Amino acid sequence: MKRAALAAALLWAAAFSPAAQARDPARGAAIAAQRCAACHGADGRSIAAEIPMLAGQQREFVTLQLILFREGIRPVPAMQAAADKLSDEDVEALAAHYAGLPARAAERAPRDAALAARGQAVSAARNCGVCHLPDYAGRAQVPRLTRQHEAFLARTLAEYRDGRRVGIDTQMNGAVQGLADADIAALAHHLAHRD
Amino acid sequence: MKKRLFATLAATVLAASALAQQAAPAPVPGWAVGRPAGSTLAPHAPKLTATPLADVPVGAIRVPPGFKVEVYAHGMPGARMMAEGPKGTVFAGSRAIGRVYAITRNADGSTRTRVVAQGLPQPNGLVMIGDSLYVLAVNRVLRYDNIEANLDNVPTPVDLTAAFALPTEAEHGGNHHWKFASLGPDGRIYTNVGVNCNVCDFDRDKFALLVSFNPDGSGRRVEARGVRNSVGMAHHPVTRELWATNNGRDWAGNEWPHDTLHRVRASGEDHGFPYCTGNTPDPQFNKGRSCGDFVAPAALLGPHVAALGMRFYTGSMFPAEYRNQLIMARRGSWNRERLTGFDLVVAHLDAQGNVARLEEFMTGLRDDANQRFLDRPVDVHVMRDGSLLVAGEQMGAIYRITYAR
Repeated sequence: MKRAALAAALLWAAAFSPAAQARDPARGAAIAAQRCAACHGADGRSIAAEIPMLAGQQREFVTLQLILFREGIRPVPAMQAAADKLSDEDVEALAAHYAGLPARAAERAPRDAALAARGQAVSAARNCGVCHLPDYAGRAQVPRLTRQHEAFLARTLAEYRDGRRVGIDTQMNGAVQGLADADIAALAHHLAHRD
Repeated sequence: MKKRLFATLAATVLAASALAQQAAPAPVPGWAVGRPAGSTLAPHAPKLTATPLADVPVGAIRVPPGFKVEVYAHGMPGARMMAEGPKGTVFAGSRAIGRVYAITRNADGSTRTRVVAQGLPQPNGLVMIGDSLYVLAVNRVLRYDNIEANLDNVPTPVDLTAAFALPTEAEHGGNHHWKFASLGPDGRIYTNVGVNCNVCDFDRDKFALLVSFNPDGSGRRVEARGVRNSVGMAHHPVTRELWATNNGRDWAGNEWPHDTLHRVRASGEDHGFPYCTGNTPDPQFNKGRSCGDFVAPAALLGPHVAALGMRFYTGSMFPAEYRNQLIMARRGSWNRERLTGFDLVVAHLDAQGNVARLEEFMTGLRDDANQRFLDRPVDVHVMRDGSLLVAGEQMGAIYRITYAR
């Protein structure tokens, strides 16, 4: 009995600690409906292939990217304006919201087996699965790569290769250094068709 | 059986290399040179949102009897290297979040934190000269004059980037381009130029150096070469010799190499990287060089511990045994299967200035049982009252250590 009461008290304390409040997905959902849904979709699944799907994305990855947008370190004009007035608590709540939404595949063109095979070979050669894990689900600051728009993946890879995308570190710039456009297209196709 | 296994292996290797050729893989990125296949070790995720006071793990920190730890300031995501102005403002740089913080003390002893610069590339190197704050952000060098009088309305800095002519992000290939900065007793600015890879052949006149400059960026002098990446240095308060911490290479096993402590007796000495680290030959880049030809490190600090910010303790609050001894922050390992570091270490020197022993001074942030960490100490700063500030990068907090008999 005593132990149960203690456990309940601890749970209560955990639920109302500042960090737990900041990571409240319901609060994140409310902010998302106002600020994010128009482009990223009401369910975190964007329609436009140039705009990333956020449903099921890694919580820490979303948090860090929103901070980089807000601070003007990752220069995407549309996102800089959207993130401009977000507090750290808003950012954590948004990340909790999107991380908790079910990821589902994007609308996509039929799978081209030869192109996907080439993409898989590129992934093996560049060790994508080491950080993003073999199923590309990502972890912590490393994003999920599946259930994402192929066009967005291709553009992002090219931006990293060409030094136009800044992350929290330069690991991705190194990982895709020197890839041909055709390799990038194949890799994006492979990732977009992995469920 | 063995033969068949070999044949299968050979076929796999051939198939893999055929695939690799087809996919036109390029050079391995600098940071991953030497990484064994199949390793899933990766750097720990930073935390760039403010941590509420209730979640700052000050209660877990352990210090020797008589010492006490408190939270000096918090809510500064990514806070790293510290410098103090003549009016007592503590400035803290950062890396990914691009900010410089200013912490002032209110009349009631509480602190107030401001962001005085933002959007900078890795503004990790701070040095105070008179009323001017110098911020070293990769190759940018910015001088904020009379800053303590203008914390709410920070003037446009004087841009000294061209005069210092430090290598750019691109020249570094994104590797080890952030700076530590320290003011020497000769009035010069001392800093590091890290190596542009994990380990490789590189221009030894350009990278893996300790260098010094006049404050206007003129008079560049190489203080030491063959120092892979130093993110902590200070001059001994009596001998005036330059000492520096150094981060060893990655991907060479759990126990090698150690991070190292370096004592520079004369400008221009060669400390051996990439040929030798910690006085032992590099397994891939030794090139037949004798490690005896290079200056041996003053101490081995532990494998992959990431020894960073360091200062000599020049205050009088701590017991006499700490006077003029070297206190350093070990940020903690990622490139090792079991965690090391996440603490402060004191290097006690003997009468000849040699390291007599290393004392684990502040512990408790590394949770060995669960292989996790609670914060990452990255720099120390001796306050005028003799207390010691410790920057905790992961939690964005600055701790203060005091001593009372």
